[in-house]
Amino acid sequence: MSDTITEAPPSVPRPVAAPKKRNWIKIAATVLLVLFLVALPILTGSQVAYLKVAQYILIGTVGGIGLTLLVGQAGQLSLAHPFFLLVGAVSYAVLAGDPAESPGLVGLGFPPLLAVIGAVVICGLVGLAFAPVAGRLRGIYLGVASLSLVFLGLWLGQSLELFTGGTSSGRPPPTFELFGFAFSTTTPAPTIAGVPIQKQQRLWYLFLVFALGAYFLARGAINSRIGRSWRAVRDNEAAATAMGVNVARVKAGAFTISSAFAGLAGVMTALWLDLVKPDENEFTGNYSLTVAIAFLAIVIIGGLGSVPGAVVGAIVVYGLQQFFLLGANQFGWFADAQFGGLSAVILSAFVYGAAVVLVVLFEPGGAAAIGRRLTSRFTPRKER
Amino acid sequence: MTSAPTLREGVVDLVVDDVTLRFGGITALDGVSFTVAPGTVHALIGPNGAGKSSCFNVISGLYRPTEGRVRLGEQVLTDLRPHRLAALGVGRSFQNIALSPGSTVRDNVMLGRHSLTRGGFLSGGLRLGSKTERKHLARVEEICDFLGVADRLDSPVSALPYGVAKRVDIARALACEPILLLLDEPAAGLDGTETAEMAVTISELRDALGISVLLVEHDMGLVMGIADRVTVLDFGRLIADGVPSEVQSDPAVISAYLGVGAEEEN
Ligand SMILES: Nc1ncnc2c1ncn2[C@@H]1O[C@H](COP(=O)(O)OP(=O)(O)OP(=O)(O)O)[C@@H](O)[C@H]1O
Ligand SMILES: [Mg+2]
Repeated sequence: MSDTITEAPPSVPRPVAAPKKRNWIKIAATVLLVLFLVALPILTGSQVAYLKVAQYILIGTVGGIGLTLLVGQAGQLSLAHPFFLLVGAVSYAVLAGDPAESPGLVGLGFPPLLAVIGAVVICGLVGLAFAPVAGRLRGIYLGVASLSLVFLGLWLGQSLELFTGGTSSGRPPPTFELFGFAFSTTTPAPTIAGVPIQKQQRLWYLFLVFALGAYFLARGAINSRIGRSWRAVRDNEAAATAMGVNVARVKAGAFTISSAFAGLAGVMTALWLDLVKPDENEFTGNYSLTVAIAFLAIVIIGGLGSVPGAVVGAIVVYGLQQFFLLGANQFGWFADAQFGGLSAVILSAFVYGAAVVLVVLFEPGGAAAIGRRLTSRFTPRKER
Repeated sequence: MTSAPTLREGVVDLVVDDVTLRFGGITALDGVSFTVAPGTVHALIGPNGAGKSSCFNVISGLYRPTEGRVRLGEQVLTDLRPHRLAALGVGRSFQNIALSPGSTVRDNVMLGRHSLTRGGFLSGGLRLGSKTERKHLARVEEICDFLGVADRLDSPVSALPYGVAKRVDIARALACEPILLLLDEPAAGLDGTETAEMAVTISELRDALGISVLLVEHDMGLVMGIADRVTVLDFGRLIADGVPSEVQSDPAVISAYLGVGAEEEN
């Protein structure tokens, strides 16, 4: 930032900005939470299925944060998130793929970390390419236009089999590796408190780093110059312009950044599923309309524009779905005809659908507003 | 009420040069020319629909004139893309308060620093500019103090009374460190006391900052009390331009503007 503070008006200088009081309760809660997250693989032990649920929530978190920035902060409705997830997943597989291992598929053999970064950048650029549309349309029109990208993704995924592996078999995503340390099962495995740290535990830590990074970046951006310009564009374009904001550029930038977050979520999805496979139809699958709605639900339940809210939304929407699936697989829920063919995915959609309705009716600010009300009893001063 | 005591460096005149603005069949501005001299409070008045806001929007670049141009010193504003104006020292407030209702006063006024600062997603996300950010925050608090809204820095704008929000809108325009401040109906919607306070604030900020102020106003008392010069529009044409006492006694103005006002009062 440049430094162009000019002379002050001759008003009585008063002691502004009293040194910020540290909020110990908040700090303690944050430390406890991070400790819990770090210890989760130990708490779940051999019950890896629970860890998979938690990993999935982190995918929803990263994608949800990206969407809440776009929809809530910058005011652009997008249903294209699943498309960028797909682009991210496929880009990772293509960039890191080893052509020797998967003959007949395009693989560039990049180091996995570079491939993740590449996939995120590619998604950002594809998002930027959509900016001319995003800049011209508003509200529901933009939502519908962005929806077309999901259909484009469906078609591309099915037709570009050289990249995606096709709908029948897909392709395996290359194992993530960091400086020779593979995120896969090895013998012998390091242990923490007697729990072997194998593939799923390692992936958990990788996802945790991704999610914490996404959270940190998003919070910082919201409280800085770029965040202010997003809100200005969202609330009044004429006023934003008068204050020096290049509205078209800010809109394009927001779409780019949101797509990059979705791209990372896509890479995570590939690693989580251990498979990159385009959807067979537009309604079900990992990159389908259902996912577009799920992400929108995450954003609404969490409160538009709130990053911690997106985490809560991901727990509700992505967590519930996996929770019901877990029940179905481990305890045979929904197996009986008495459920009338209700599947875990459909039931979770009912539950978060109801949550969306409740939020819209009773607390349009979502989980963020509820949280603010609760914490304002403990905190001395309000945030932003 | 003559020209400002100490002019701020770089304050130049604003020249509206033969500006015509048409919307389809409507001629909102018809060959309007006037000059805002450096360091003056210049009022633009006229009955409803006279073209005042249109003129404002041409100056601030939101509308492109059909003909004519606007200059700030040597710089032709009408050639520029509108978001470039803030960096050249044009700050404006809006007739209908155009703040972000959900954001705090501090956050809203900080937006005014946009063209004085740099930084995008990564520098914000990595908190690289937090030190300069604090300096700008201190300046914002100073400006809010000057406008008497410093005690509301942490309130969301939606929780503010109208009169206070109006001042926040002006604080945001001042946060651009303008050499020319454009105020669109700063007293609209204010009660008598608030209007009087607003008049004092406008003269004070001109005196303190040594900048030019161009304001659109309906409230004749406020205009005649603080303006150094008055330009009168009627149906998009300039019908008078002079010091308040001249304009007040101009028969064209009386029939176009004051006449209408008098009729309304009866
Ligand atoms: N965007 C627009 N499109 C079409 N016509 C417009 C537009 N903006 C203004 N006008 C017309 O231009 C004329 C001048 O309007 P303007 O808003 O500039 O008047 P004003 O002097 O600010 O009035 P008021 O005192 O009511 O604010 C009016 O006839 C108005 O209908
Ligand atoms: Mg007007």
